[in-house]
Amino acid sequence: MMLSVTPQHFLILSFLLVGIGFLGLLIRRNVLLMLMSLELMLNGINVALLTFSRVGGNLDGGIFVFFIMTVAAAEVAVGLALLVALYKKRNSVLSDDMGLLKN
Amino acid sequence: MISIALSMLFLPLLSAAVTLLFLRKNGNLASLLSVSTAGGILVLALVLIFSDNPVPLAWDTTWFAMGGWELRFGFLIDAPAKLLLFIVAFVGFLIHIFSLGYMADDPARPRYFGGLSIFMFSMLGITLADNLVMIFVFWELVGFSSYLLIAHYFKTDEATKASRKAFIVNRVGDFGFLIGIVLTYWTYGTLNLSELADLADFSPNLATTGLCLALACGFVVKSAQFPLHVWLPDAMAGPTPVSALIHAATMVAAGVYLLLRIDFLFTEEALGLIAFLGAAMGLYAGFCALVQRDVKKILAYSTLSQLGYMAAAFGLGAPGVALFHLTTHAFFKALMFLGSGSVIHACHHEQDIFNYGGLRKRMPITALTFLIGVLAISGVNFLSGYFSKDAILLWAYNFNMPIFVILYAGAILTSIYMFRLYFITFEGKARSKYAEDAKENSFLMTGPLLVLAVFSVFGGYQSLYPDQLGAYLGPDLSAVSLLPHHMWMIVLGTSAWIIGLLVAKTLFSKVLQDDPLARRFPAFYELCRSKLFFDEIYQIYLSKIQDPLARFIEVMELLFISGLMVRGAAGVAALFSMLAKLCYVGKIHAYAFWFILGTLGFLFYAAGLVGN
Repeated sequence: MMLSVTPQHFLILSFLLVGIGFLGLLIRRNVLLMLMSLELMLNGINVALLTFSRVGGNLDGGIFVFFIMTVAAAEVAVGLALLVALYKKRNSVLSDDMGLLKN
Repeated sequence: MISIALSMLFLPLLSAAVTLLFLRKNGNLASLLSVSTAGGILVLALVLIFSDNPVPLAWDTTWFAMGGWELRFGFLIDAPAKLLLFIVAFVGFLIHIFSLGYMADDPARPRYFGGLSIFMFSMLGITLADNLVMIFVFWELVGFSSYLLIAHYFKTDEATKASRKAFIVNRVGDFGFLIGIVLTYWTYGTLNLSELADLADFSPNLATTGLCLALACGFVVKSAQFPLHVWLPDAMAGPTPVSALIHAATMVAAGVYLLLRIDFLFTEEALGLIAFLGAAMGLYAGFCALVQRDVKKILAYSTLSQLGYMAAAFGLGAPGVALFHLTTHAFFKALMFLGSGSVIHACHHEQDIFNYGGLRKRMPITALTFLIGVLAISGVNFLSGYFSKDAILLWAYNFNMPIFVILYAGAILTSIYMFRLYFITFEGKARSKYAEDAKENSFLMTGPLLVLAVFSVFGGYQSLYPDQLGAYLGPDLSAVSLLPHHMWMIVLGTSAWIIGLLVAKTLFSKVLQDDPLARRFPAFYELCRSKLFFDEIYQIYLSKIQDPLARFIEVMELLFISGLMVRGAAGVAALFSMLAKLCYVGKIHAYAFWFILGTLGFLFYAAGLVGN
């Protein structure tokens, strides 16, 4: 049974995760959800990296995953902090209300 | 001696600079400064003329150098230069004094006197210059100062148009002059007058008619000869002393002086053409002068005519006689212009001679001196014009009969229109309120008239000239005195002015507001009034050829330079900016979308799916 799960399956999963995250990023108006979609995409990438690491028989991909998770944690902390600050200032977390840079 | 010449040259420039920079508000000080400058020039000029110098006194220094080529700045003070120097300094000084009276109530005196000083500087430069480039530079400067002074009354449309016309017509001729200078340098390898004279003497076959005629363009335009004479009558829009100094006595005579300076370059054909053009001008301008109503325009056409005589004398191979006529003409024409200025001043700037009349009793000194001028220019025996003009006529009689006939007809015309001017202005009854109230002017204005009248009477006796002044005239005048047919010429010359006097007396001694010529000979009058349609022909040329060409070039400029190159380059940048702006929608989703798309693009490129 285990043998039927090939690296292709992992890659398809990775692709689906990134795609779902991307669609969420495009569709969602709530910045909180958009941040979550970003995390989803990052994790999809992590899956792909681990797959390649396993196929290649080395730890390169695994090491990258650790880096990405660390950076993602930091990034989320910053992103959430920005979001809280933004909410305090503008009383909204919807991306439609953030168009100041237009024109 | 060189330091004297240098300080004489730069004194008026300094004075003009001081006047125009610091004395713009102070008319009295400016006019005093300018007049004392003119006096200083006269003193220095006399020192320079009468000191014991080697003749010619030549000196030069490097003006500036470019690579191996250098431009020299130098003086060549020989006999003709000394004579012209005297005329410029002396007549210039008298006219400055006259200006004190004439311009006394003009609010823009600093500008006027500053312009006069610039003119003196430029004219002295032409007189002393020892090479053609230097002459050309000062040539342009006199043109510039002439432009400034014609436009003195710049609030009138007439003056601004006249100044522009003078400037532009002068550019046309000076361009030919410039080409001539380049050709000369190409042919002879030098522009220094003395070196040119040696080279031309050494290899006479180097000279070409084309080169001479190109150089003569400078003369044609500055001396207002056919076909570039149209600017001079209009230039009378300037103040009258300016007309006397620049447009009668000195600047227009500089053209003739230029010819004398380079006479060794001229070929037979070029000389013949100049002689013929000059004679034709002498006659043509006479007809024009005959029907003018403006006193200054009559004198302007008379100047054209007399310059034609000088050109004819030069063309017939008697440059000394030409310079002689230039000298006497400078005296009597300056006298008449100043006389007309005196009349104009007394009559509150009325210039139509048919509004004068009877001024002899009211302005006796002006009338008397003016009459002397009229007699001198008409060639009345033993006055200055008699000697110089009859020398030209006698020369022409002996060497070129057709030209003599033209010149002789011109001489009769001269005396007709001059006596017409005198009779209408000074005799009869006053025909306007201004003429009735006219009073003789102050001594500032009559003084120069009296001095010039003395010179107009005695200026013709060449033997009275000091050696330093008359040296250049001597040989040619001796040659004239040896020519045959002297008695016959005296009879002809005398009859010319008597005919003129009688015709003028019958026609013009009793006139009303309209010209008797227009009543008796309307067709002739109209023909003369038309001035042979030169202005109209140039106008047609301008409107039919030059303006369309200018418009065409303007369209090309708009299309290619300002359109395609300037605006085109800006347009490309603007196009890119517009494209870039399209992406700037202000929605984070769109940016995310482009970001992912870009990442995918890089990815595909790295994977080799696109590009490569």
